[in-house]
Amino acid sequence: MGKRKTAVVCSTSPEEDAGRKQGSRSSSSKSFAAARKRTRGGSSQCGVGEISDKPPSRGAEAFARLSEDYCECLQDFPSTQGMQCSKGNELWVDKYKPSSPAQLAVHKKKVEEVKNWLRERLIASKEKFGNHVLLITGQAGVGKSAAVRVLAAHMGAELCEYSTPTPTLWHEHVHNINSGLSYRSKLDEFEAFVEKIGKYSLLSSSNAGASRKATIILIDDLPVTNGRVAFGRLKKCLTALTRFAQLPTVILVTEYHRTDNVPTSHFEELVSLLERAGAYKVAFNRLTVNSIKKVLSHICQEEKRELPSIQIDQIAKASCGDMRNAINSLQFWCLSPDNLLISYVSNSMDINSRVLSDSNKLSPIVGLFGHEELNCGTDFSYGRDETLTLFHALGKFLHNKREVMDQIGLELESLTLREKFERNPLKMDAPEKVLSQAYGKARPVTDFLHENVLDFISDGAIDDTWLVTSYLSDADCLLASSLLSHSSQKLTEMDDSQRVSQPVAASVAIRGVLFGNKQPLSSRWHAIRSPRLWQIEQSAQHHKNKLMVERFYFSNGFSLSLSQMVTDYMPSIKWLGSHTTDDNGHEKLIQCITTDLIPPADNFSSNTIESTFREKIEDDEIEDW
Amino acid sequence: MASSSAPPPSTPPPSSLSASSYYEVPWVEKYRPTKVADVVGNSDAVSRLQVIAREGNMPNIILSGPPGTGKTTSILALAHELLGPHCKEAVLELNASDDRGIDVVRNKIKMFAQKKVTLPPGRHKIIILDEADSMTSAAQQALRRTMEIYSNTTRFALACNTSSKIIEPIQSRCALVRFSRLSDQEILERLLTVVETEKVPYVPGGLEAIIFTADGDMRQALNNLQATFSGFHFVNEENVFKVCDQPHPLHVKNMIRNVLEGKFDDACSGLKQLYDLGYSPTDIITTLFRVVKNYDMAEYLKLEFLKETGFAHMRVCDGVGSLLQLSGLLAKLALVRETAKAP
Repeated sequence: MGKRKTAVVCSTSPEEDAGRKQGSRSSSSKSFAAARKRTRGGSSQCGVGEISDKPPSRGAEAFARLSEDYCECLQDFPSTQGMQCSKGNELWVDKYKPSSPAQLAVHKKKVEEVKNWLRERLIASKEKFGNHVLLITGQAGVGKSAAVRVLAAHMGAELCEYSTPTPTLWHEHVHNINSGLSYRSKLDEFEAFVEKIGKYSLLSSSNAGASRKATIILIDDLPVTNGRVAFGRLKKCLTALTRFAQLPTVILVTEYHRTDNVPTSHFEELVSLLERAGAYKVAFNRLTVNSIKKVLSHICQEEKRELPSIQIDQIAKASCGDMRNAINSLQFWCLSPDNLLISYVSNSMDINSRVLSDSNKLSPIVGLFGHEELNCGTDFSYGRDETLTLFHALGKFLHNKREVMDQIGLELESLTLREKFERNPLKMDAPEKVLSQAYGKARPVTDFLHENVLDFISDGAIDDTWLVTSYLSDADCLLASSLLSHSSQKLTEMDDSQRVSQPVAASVAIRGVLFGNKQPLSSRWHAIRSPRLWQIEQSAQHHKNKLMVERFYFSNGFSLSLSQMVTDYMPSIKWLGSHTTDDNGHEKLIQCITTDLIPPADNFSSNTIESTFREKIEDDEIEDW
Repeated sequence: MASSSAPPPSTPPPSSLSASSYYEVPWVEKYRPTKVADVVGNSDAVSRLQVIAREGNMPNIILSGPPGTGKTTSILALAHELLGPHCKEAVLELNASDDRGIDVVRNKIKMFAQKKVTLPPGRHKIIILDEADSMTSAAQQALRRTMEIYSNTTRFALACNTSSKIIEPIQSRCALVRFSRLSDQEILERLLTVVETEKVPYVPGGLEAIIFTADGDMRQALNNLQATFSGFHFVNEENVFKVCDQPHPLHVKNMIRNVLEGKFDDACSGLKQLYDLGYSPTDIITTLFRVVKNYDMAEYLKLEFLKETGFAHMRVCDGVGSLLQLSGLLAKLALVRETAKAP
């Protein structure tokens, strides 16, 4: 508790207590537990601190202290529920949490897999099992934690979640340096947590008492690590956890798109590490559009909002298989003013008229997407998937619809061109306008066009291909400068120049495709593929960045080029790594090199270099917390 | 509190007249809408935000879009409308200028989320993270669980320029609302009301020029308007381009027309004039690009002109900003026209 005093913000206003139940205010640990049970809707989840109402064992005490902050944040919940007067105050994501395994949108087989694993561990937990760690991976919003919650509740097990305490701010710590507060990084705390789980097996010992429920530990937010050393510590920690865990432990790891600019390297490394250490891995795939649609229409029914099925379909597609985002979008979409008015009068006549009025209301926006998609183009602007808005623009560019020839219009122009440069007027707004309405960016547009344009050029037209390709390469060249500035420091000057180069490149690419494709194929249905080239480029960039980071760690004292890194350093690391079970090949290599460079007799200087190296590393660590 | 924390726009040095009489508030702040309904443009998104302002229960949202389109304004207005007198205690606003490292996210935001404030039903505490794309991904990671655990009492509103810089778990927890550039008409309407209340003498061409220079950015439009007014006390085309220090688009337009009509000499002398006025090659090319984009010409010519302009811009950015490059650009444009012209 001492920690909290330093915080300025944390204050409770007295008048607010009126709104909440008195029992939850008392500080006995029994009612903590009770309160916690109530908050999570009567399901059997509860905090790790639960054990504190048992006769305290040595480990339990330590554990309770560790998780005391978690109890405190749970304590907040009763008050919020007391405040909640009307029903419509929750996020739909919370309101429509799945409550039974049947409601989970995750694939049945995966659910079954997790369920079996948990059952085996729970029923036969006394017997000897090699490992007690389950690793669930998957993209954001596919229902990883929902699945674990539901299954645990279904099997009547308690779910204890590891939750990090609120830390003190660094400058507050410096300010109160004499008051005996200790300053710990998240990683320290996580290490301590793991150590305690392994060493004392305290949860199981306190379990031995009576008819306590079985317990599952859930670890959702792994500490963020920054840099090699901290990551190494985390890895060590997780290995230890996997080997020594006594209770079924579920670790959730969120998977990222490769295209993201977030460092993803750690993800793959962590997963493979945990698997090697013996964790059982279940990968959740992204949800299908149909399963999302089912849930969305169910929610619509519950909320008595009648949405056209096209709308639901759009939201489901735009969410890229992310249930949570789909529900959020749905909730936001349902805020439309006339939706609210009509939802109270629910009869089928109104629904039809509303669909009409909706499309009328939105038509100024829809109009830009073209006439044929009038009723399905309502709101692309709410999904997570940016490419969906792009698709419609791309479709227009690629299909390249033009007015039928009429000579009169052409006569009026002052300058007549050669026949091969003449084109009929476009059947759309200016390409730049279409693009800006679709929230398109130059780079992806160019790449998408490049990937897909060949499908839309008629078979024999090699001249067209030649033209289109040359324009696309020009656009690529124009974009190159902005790519450079992107990777380097962002200066305002660079931003300024991008304001021209980006739109120019986009225009050249689009207009080039429009102009070059002289005889577009008659409109046939084509799936638009995502650009493979782009993905390759992205991953190449990503690997380069990773190497640069490693070079930074490696390079104090030595300077290496990128190719040296790839040809010399990486293989040696790998080679060393295959000889040692630990993952400190890096340090070994450093030792090798330092001893290589310095005559063996001169032990002293070797040590100093080693120690400066360590110091450097430790410096890094301080930043990492 | 809200308006004062926004970054101060670049105000012009006040003219001697106004400086002696009173301190002028930047018009961007003075005319910042305080109600969601008054936010200009993006009608679909804004109408939904209006519903939130009326009904409460704000979901977590991310507003993304180019600068000057009203993202921050709508969030602030929304917070004010939702919370009214509680605004001081129930809103936490952090932008890029505040310390927003991982420890602040862990401590300050979590503490705020745990804080208890009595609010009317359907209202929640709001945490506004402006310019959220400048947060490190580690800080965003730390935000992830907080967002979920406290969703009963605290909601988040994030504003950013590019939504892809927000990590996926955060995107997943929010409804994404996209803002696009304002249309010229929308900017014009707003300018007219400002001009009226400030009693600015103007000619329509002046406002048009302001809209041209603003390029869909309301903040810039208002700043330019104020700058012109305090500099010259009269808004016409000439003054606007003097203040904004951009080559006059009409001049550039003439240049292009000369090229298209085959009068290369006239085009070159026009360029020389512009160059001698002291405009930097980048400025000239930027204006040239905008003019070409909107110039009505044959499709092939437009495509080629844009391409050549792009390449010239690239060379200028590389450091070759000489008059020769600009003349070369004109020559290339003329060449394109020659090859394309029917014999």
